[in-house]
Amino acid sequence: MATDARTLPLARPAPRGIGWSLLLTLPILVWSLLMFFNPGSSKTPIWIISGAITALFMTTLFFMMMRSRSTYRWRRIFFVSLGVLFPIGFIYNIVVMRGTMGIPVEEMIAGRTPFCFMPIPMLILPAAFTRTLVFPGSIASASHGIAAMVGVWLALTLVMGKGWCSYACFFGGIEEGVAAIPARAKIRKLDPRLRYLPWAVLLAMVLLSLALFEPAYCMWLCPFKAVSEYVAARNLLGLVQNVIFILLFAGLVIVLPFLTKKRTQCSWFCPFGAFQSIFNKISIFEVKIDKERCKPCLVCLNACPNLSLSKESVARGETLLSCMKCGACVDVCPRQAIVWHIKGTEIAWKPERARLMFLYAAWAMAIMFGGSIIAQGIATILHFIV
Amino acid sequence: MPAFASCGEAIILGLVSGPACIAACGPILVPSLLAEHKGFRPHARYLSVFLAARLLGYMLFAVVAWELGLLASLLPAPRLLLMGVVYVLLAGVLLWYAYSARRSCAQPCADSKLVQITENRNHGVTGAAALGLLTGLNLCPPFVVAGIRAAQMGSMAAALLFFAVFFLGTSIWFVPFVGLGCIVRNQAVITVARMAMVLIALYYLSMGIAMLLGKKAYGY
Repeated sequence: MATDARTLPLARPAPRGIGWSLLLTLPILVWSLLMFFNPGSSKTPIWIISGAITALFMTTLFFMMMRSRSTYRWRRIFFVSLGVLFPIGFIYNIVVMRGTMGIPVEEMIAGRTPFCFMPIPMLILPAAFTRTLVFPGSIASASHGIAAMVGVWLALTLVMGKGWCSYACFFGGIEEGVAAIPARAKIRKLDPRLRYLPWAVLLAMVLLSLALFEPAYCMWLCPFKAVSEYVAARNLLGLVQNVIFILLFAGLVIVLPFLTKKRTQCSWFCPFGAFQSIFNKISIFEVKIDKERCKPCLVCLNACPNLSLSKESVARGETLLSCMKCGACVDVCPRQAIVWHIKGTEIAWKPERARLMFLYAAWAMAIMFGGSIIAQGIATILHFIV
Repeated sequence: MPAFASCGEAIILGLVSGPACIAACGPILVPSLLAEHKGFRPHARYLSVFLAARLLGYMLFAVVAWELGLLASLLPAPRLLLMGVVYVLLAGVLLWYAYSARRSCAQPCADSKLVQITENRNHGVTGAAALGLLTGLNLCPPFVVAGIRAAQMGSMAAALLFFAVFFLGTSIWFVPFVGLGCIVRNQAVITVARMAMVLIALYYLSMGIAMLLGKKAYGY
């Protein structure tokens, strides 16, 4: 009896040749140089050095992705670096500008806070009802104005879907790094209903933001306030807010990722992640499971850092809506049954080409958002060393 | 003729204040509606009870405030106290609602039975009535505006009429909420609605306690 070739396990593909890998990396090198050494801008030596280190770092990681044909571990190096360097650069800037990490309410009202993408879903209803932006940041600034940033975010999101959460978000890296520390998860049985919690946080925060006319998530629940800018506590209420931030950070970003080896804040809490999930329906890139090739060993379930696979979804041949396109399941599948896929094509249609197309878009975004933050963090460290 | 003019004024005030009313009631109304039966009719019934109870809350407050002469001059301290109590009660009702939804689906948790989280029809009606009454007593900005205008009326009857017509104007904005009944109900939607109710309840609880503590919490 003839055996269908697709039911046979595939050998892991050999590394790509160095020449080909360099050629494929060339566009990313050019993009990195354009981002960090744009002509006409005057930069200090520290900025030039940090830009060069970042360009080299991002280009090398992309080269390794091309050479090894694996995605996750190289992306993780970038993502953890981003997560660690973001607070360093951010806190330094805030302290230089303001003298403290604490932000008083009048500063927020005056719009003297840096842009953050987290409140974007909470802006929509108040803006629709009253044409008012409740975001406590500057709208007028030409280069970093909210309108421009929201526009860039929307354009990228339509292409990448929830890939934003693996290649651009500057918050998820710390927990991904912590989750990588233990060899095995201490807690393995996780209640699947917790996957719904980010949607509940999103619903509650969108409604409360409309009722209160303030970004309720930033005021009450953002765990990353603990490592960015906290509320200047002038009364008991302010103190309670800061205690909530610290407890959420300690629990969701440090303790639970260590115990579960999952990105628990992203999987169980982040309302922006839930919001981004909606765009996975629109994005042309997705991760699919070839049902003919898959013998459900469920290795992918354990590997997924975001709980975006379930037995049922594997049986259906797809990831859950919350998939962040990090590539962990693709890299770990022993039968090469999980593939990068472009919607509208056959599932087995050139998955490596689909991966390349996705990675060019994702890495360009990573350099634009994450790269500049990494360069800022390196510049801050150099500032203290030199 | 003056009564006709004041009714016109009340309805226009209600119509323009509608979005603010939706904003104030949204965190309570939306999750509780999403946790209800699917369908146009159950939602219309739920919304009717909610709005009727909200009207009752308006009237109750108006009568008491008129009698005490406080309709337009409720001082900040007692206002904070009243809102604190209302917020704590709202939190209690929302928590009970989320909990009872879980209890009623605990046994037949399979397929479409799960959708019918409230076999006991009184659950939805009682919850809607309690939430509507408390949102009626909540001193949201449109309510305060109407209160100040009603206080200038010559008699309590005229003030109540003003409130009632104002209520009608705002209520038109609530009609689209019936459309939530068309959203597909499955385990995910109901679980999300219940979790959101708990989060919103915790927010109201903490704000309510802060308001009751007053100066100790706010420092001024």
